[in-house]
Amino acid sequence: MAKQSVSLSREFGKGLWAENPVLVSLLGLCPTLAVTNSAINGLAMGLATTFVVVSSGIIISSFRKLIPHQVRIAGYIVIIATFVTLADRYLAAFYPDISKALGPYVPLIVVNCIILGRQEAFASKHHPGRAALDALGMGVGFIAVLFVLGSIRELLGSGSILSFQVLGDWWTPWMVMILPPGAFLTLGLLIGLSNWINEKRATA
Amino acid sequence: MSTSAKMILVLAVITALAGAILSAWDGYTQPKIEQHRLEALQAAIADVLPAHDHYDEVQADDMTLYVGKNSANQPVGIAFRAVGSGFQGEIAMMVGVTPDFEQLTGLAILEQIETPGLGAKIQRDPSKPDDPNWFTQQFQGVRPNPEITVVKNQQPDQPNEIQAITGATISSRAVVQILNTSLEQAKQAYRTSKQQVS
Amino acid sequence: MNLILIFISAAIINNFVLAYFLGICPFVGVSKQISSAVSMGLAVTFVMTIAAAVTWLIYHLILVPFNVQILEYVAFILVIASLVQLVEMFIRKVSKPLYDTLGIYLPLITTNCAILGLALFAELRDYDFMESLAFGVGAGAGFTLALVIMAGIREELELARVPRHFQGAAITMIVAASLALAFMGFAGLLSI
Repeated sequence: MAKQSVSLSREFGKGLWAENPVLVSLLGLCPTLAVTNSAINGLAMGLATTFVVVSSGIIISSFRKLIPHQVRIAGYIVIIATFVTLADRYLAAFYPDISKALGPYVPLIVVNCIILGRQEAFASKHHPGRAALDALGMGVGFIAVLFVLGSIRELLGSGSILSFQVLGDWWTPWMVMILPPGAFLTLGLLIGLSNWINEKRATA
Repeated sequence: MSTSAKMILVLAVITALAGAILSAWDGYTQPKIEQHRLEALQAAIADVLPAHDHYDEVQADDMTLYVGKNSANQPVGIAFRAVGSGFQGEIAMMVGVTPDFEQLTGLAILEQIETPGLGAKIQRDPSKPDDPNWFTQQFQGVRPNPEITVVKNQQPDQPNEIQAITGATISSRAVVQILNTSLEQAKQAYRTSKQQVS
Repeated sequence: MNLILIFISAAIINNFVLAYFLGICPFVGVSKQISSAVSMGLAVTFVMTIAAAVTWLIYHLILVPFNVQILEYVAFILVIASLVQLVEMFIRKVSKPLYDTLGIYLPLITTNCAILGLALFAELRDYDFMESLAFGVGAGAGFTLALVIMAGIREELELARVPRHFQGAAITMIVAASLALAFMGFAGLLSI
């Protein structure tokens, strides 16, 4: 198998663009749309998800030989749900405002297809070092998309980024951007844009 | 070991470990979470009641009343949580009244999912940067006698009137309707609680 | 009356897909044809209703009395995963034709955020048993509605000239934007 020939930096880097979990694999769309009404919310959700995918990836990879094939999904789910609970309670205890803003979408990280997808496709077949890199790359790619999406929506919908008022009084906020239609629209445009960029790079 | 037994054992071990780790984490985080909840509650109560020394929590008629008392242990105001249907979803608020229920001492919107830029102004109006909480503040001193009513596009001239938000009449009316209903319930509950003590 | 309110709110006013962004993966993946959309919607509604009931029971009869609410997410997702397995086995035994239509969609439902989201929302809003059931049926109905509308539109889109880079998920998202905008018009349907 060509496993060993993939460089470590490539293992990390693929999650950023070439195999970006949202724009290319179309995974984890629920939180991507739900919590990107501001840049900080997108960032926080991205960080929480990255924590879960990396830590559960390391655990699952470390014990991959011990978990019987038939119960692996159930086992992975329990492990993932445990880490999500840890992250959720941590936010509620130490960052209550962010916890309130993200609301029930933090526990929904449990069913974020990115996580189960990575564990099933990668972590269960590679040793912890590689699994961690793969997970980290996917996580950072996810954070990037959430942050960009959140910034666009916050900028156009509230005139600010990370709560810093960027656009002055001359700007009438596009309310729709912080509402569901704005979420769908921005994501759709982003996906179309990334398809266009990928095609340009492939033919360049 | 047979595969079935191994499957069950592995799952049992994973679940047991998960349970243990989570229990420990629960012990660590739960007190802090509870503290935040309490602080938020106290802030909301302080927001709607006049100056008080402490408050007592009273349960009566399926309601929780927060009776603010001065240092002489006399009631100076009663706060309670009211929930009801708004335009888009539920609105939750903290209401403050004088002990005789003749006057409102304050109103704070705790949760709402009304339309941003319109109904959401019941909680905070960014179009009036000097006075973003004007909607809830106008409830201070309002006399719900016989009940609170809403007027549009004019200053209220009766002691039981409040002005609706332009373009958000329904959200404004929803707040008032929830208030009127809950005030009756709270009045009844307070009466019951005083009978319980005596 | 309250139950009807909850049903209509979940189905239309605060549609699970178009307002809460739950169930987007199948929304994008299974909405190409009206027939498959209907099948998926029915399967999801079926599982949602049972899941609403079972998670409510587990939470209020087991987690709360033993003060282990911290196990909520682990318990809920395990329950949902097992439920889907059981439902699949049950349908396969009881009705082969039904299994042929619905069955293949069932495994996809486990990671459908709509099911877990339903269980979590119902717990957050402190619904009682009947309210949770109404919520589950309403959410499923709303999901089916959104899915079928989207499928109808996408069937038409097959005949349109969608720009190359927007084919697939991108145009689906943009169409969903207009659907979400339309559904926002239902706000205030049941208010005073």
